[in-house]
Amino acid sequence: MRILIVEDDKLVAQGLKQGLLQLGYTVDVAGSAEEADICVQGESFDIALVDIALPKADGLHFIRQLRARGDHLPALILTASDSMDDTIRGLDAGADDYMTKPYRLPEVAARIRALIRRSNAVTDACLSHDGLRLDTLSRSATLNDEPLELTNREWAILEMLLMASPAVISKDRLVQCLAGWDKDITPNAIEVHVSRLRHKLAAGAIVIRTVRGIGYRVDAPHN
Amino acid sequence: MRPTTETRQQRDPLSLRHRLILALLTPLVVILTVSSYFDYQLAKKTANNAHDQALADNVFDLEAHIKKQNPSFKLDLTEEAEAMLRSNAPDMLYFSVSDPFGKVLAGDADLPRLPAPTGEQVAFTNGVYHGMPVRIAQHLISINTQDFLISVIETTKKREQASARILTAMVIPNLAVILATLLAVILGVRQGLLPLQEVERDIATRSANDLHEIELSGNPAEIRPVLSRLNELFAVLRGSVKIQQRFIADAAHQLRTPLAGLQTQIDLATSEGAFNNNTERLQLIDEATTRIGHLLSQLLAYARAETSNSVTDKFETVALDRLVENSASIFLDGALAKNIDLGFDIKPATTPGFQWMLQEALSNLIDNAIRYTPTGGVITVSCGEEKNQAFVDVEDSGPGIPDEHLKHVFERFYRIPGSPGNGCGLGLAIVSEIAQLHAATIQLTRSEQGGLRVRLQFTQHSS
Repeated sequence: MRILIVEDDKLVAQGLKQGLLQLGYTVDVAGSAEEADICVQGESFDIALVDIALPKADGLHFIRQLRARGDHLPALILTASDSMDDTIRGLDAGADDYMTKPYRLPEVAARIRALIRRSNAVTDACLSHDGLRLDTLSRSATLNDEPLELTNREWAILEMLLMASPAVISKDRLVQCLAGWDKDITPNAIEVHVSRLRHKLAAGAIVIRTVRGIGYRVDAPHN
Repeated sequence: MRPTTETRQQRDPLSLRHRLILALLTPLVVILTVSSYFDYQLAKKTANNAHDQALADNVFDLEAHIKKQNPSFKLDLTEEAEAMLRSNAPDMLYFSVSDPFGKVLAGDADLPRLPAPTGEQVAFTNGVYHGMPVRIAQHLISINTQDFLISVIETTKKREQASARILTAMVIPNLAVILATLLAVILGVRQGLLPLQEVERDIATRSANDLHEIELSGNPAEIRPVLSRLNELFAVLRGSVKIQQRFIADAAHQLRTPLAGLQTQIDLATSEGAFNNNTERLQLIDEATTRIGHLLSQLLAYARAETSNSVTDKFETVALDRLVENSASIFLDGALAKNIDLGFDIKPATTPGFQWMLQEALSNLIDNAIRYTPTGGVITVSCGEEKNQAFVDVEDSGPGIPDEHLKHVFERFYRIPGSPGNGCGLGLAIVSEIAQLHAATIQLTRSEQGGLRVRLQFTQHSS
């Protein structure tokens, strides 16, 4: 896995680089948007960590250029500004996720894993989570490499929860999602399906957590 | 010297109404008094002349009587003539006819003796008779070379009555003029100062951050310069508030990058085993950096909330139920780390406002609840509408806020002494700032679990 850090502050860049090197990634650092642009055109990266405030062109400009060229390199913004406006501008520019300074290394690493997993899921149509694997093309699931039988409704619920993890999904949204082929489904029916899912997943490390008053979520993966 | 300046400062300057009343009434009273005096004198003289004429008529009557008798040194006035002369109610009339040497030939002998008049005309003087003020008319006539001095005196009761009547007739209208002026001034000043009162009300009902300009049109020309200066002052204040907020935001912003670097270095040192022998130190360093990070976020949020004032026209309809639902994803991990049961009760609710600000306010309330609720506690976030007003509630099973601290908790950097957690004391100040902008009230009550219940109640309706 190769990561590009686009950050002009040496203290931050070097710290991140060392931390990610320790986790086994290959890391390059670009001190400006211009330098980063040359890097991504010459080499192949799995993810870019981008600071917004850069000396000349800003990080958003770099991401926009990337997307304009049709490059889907996952981009995680790391910035000192956390206002809603900046978040929206960042995501509009084509960034995949957003983190505010100061951040903790383990947290950054978790986001990197999630982004890489998501981008892989798009390319090989596969959702992996703590020993659970959903192949969306063949519609087959395995848990700790053992085949796992899922009904259509269970599959739909699990897929939705995994895609959103670690965000919370409300029962209402699950109802809307299932209503496509099950018009009369009720929130109570969702509870029944989730309870069966939990039973089937009991052997794995994956946790479907109930959030009182809203719905469910799958905890972030442990590795 | 000092005491005099103090007393001068203590004395209130005269109010505008008093100044106007004083400025108008003083000359008015002087003019009316002086003119009344002269009018009175003139009127009294006219009345006096009329009475003198009547007195002179008496003299002529007497003269005619004497001539008819063709008198020698003996004068005989019939009782009838005397009665006619004396019937002059309410005044008493006295007369005498004497020769040039002062010998009284007829009438009252003890009339005051005066120097004989010289001219042909009837002469009038004032005098005193029997202790009473009297008017005296004297006429020197000559009949058959014989000279007679006719004196008729009259008490002045009639004249006094006339004077009193004239005086009353003059003073009453003048007093009425003064009273009417007084009333006109009072009403006029009140009417004239109405716009000022409106300006006063406008300023009094403002929040501390509301520095928008006062509308000049509709206000009288006299107070417009004052209002323009006031608006200039507001503009200067707005500018300096903006500069202050920008400084706070920039400083917080600039501090974040090195803090991120520091935190990464700590994480690296930890993973390299630098704190293996002293995990307590690591925990303290960790707590300190987390706190600095939290404080910087809060400072930025506070600065942003404060600068966004008086832009309520850019409000959009915010679905509070969506905000509460979003909060679940943001705070679930924090709550789980403390084994807190974070639950929700979501009913549809909307209010006009800024979404990011309301999310910020809600996040601060939930963050506070998680900070101050002990491990294993319960937090419930609910929203909905009651009596057509949207609300958001955050209830916890924490220690609550003791009464004596209730009024301070919205102050910046106020922390309840001895409270746990590593808050920075800005959370509720931010919530209060945002609530104020959204015309929302904040109610702090006891929750069902014995902890704190914070309710944000929105008074505005989304159209």
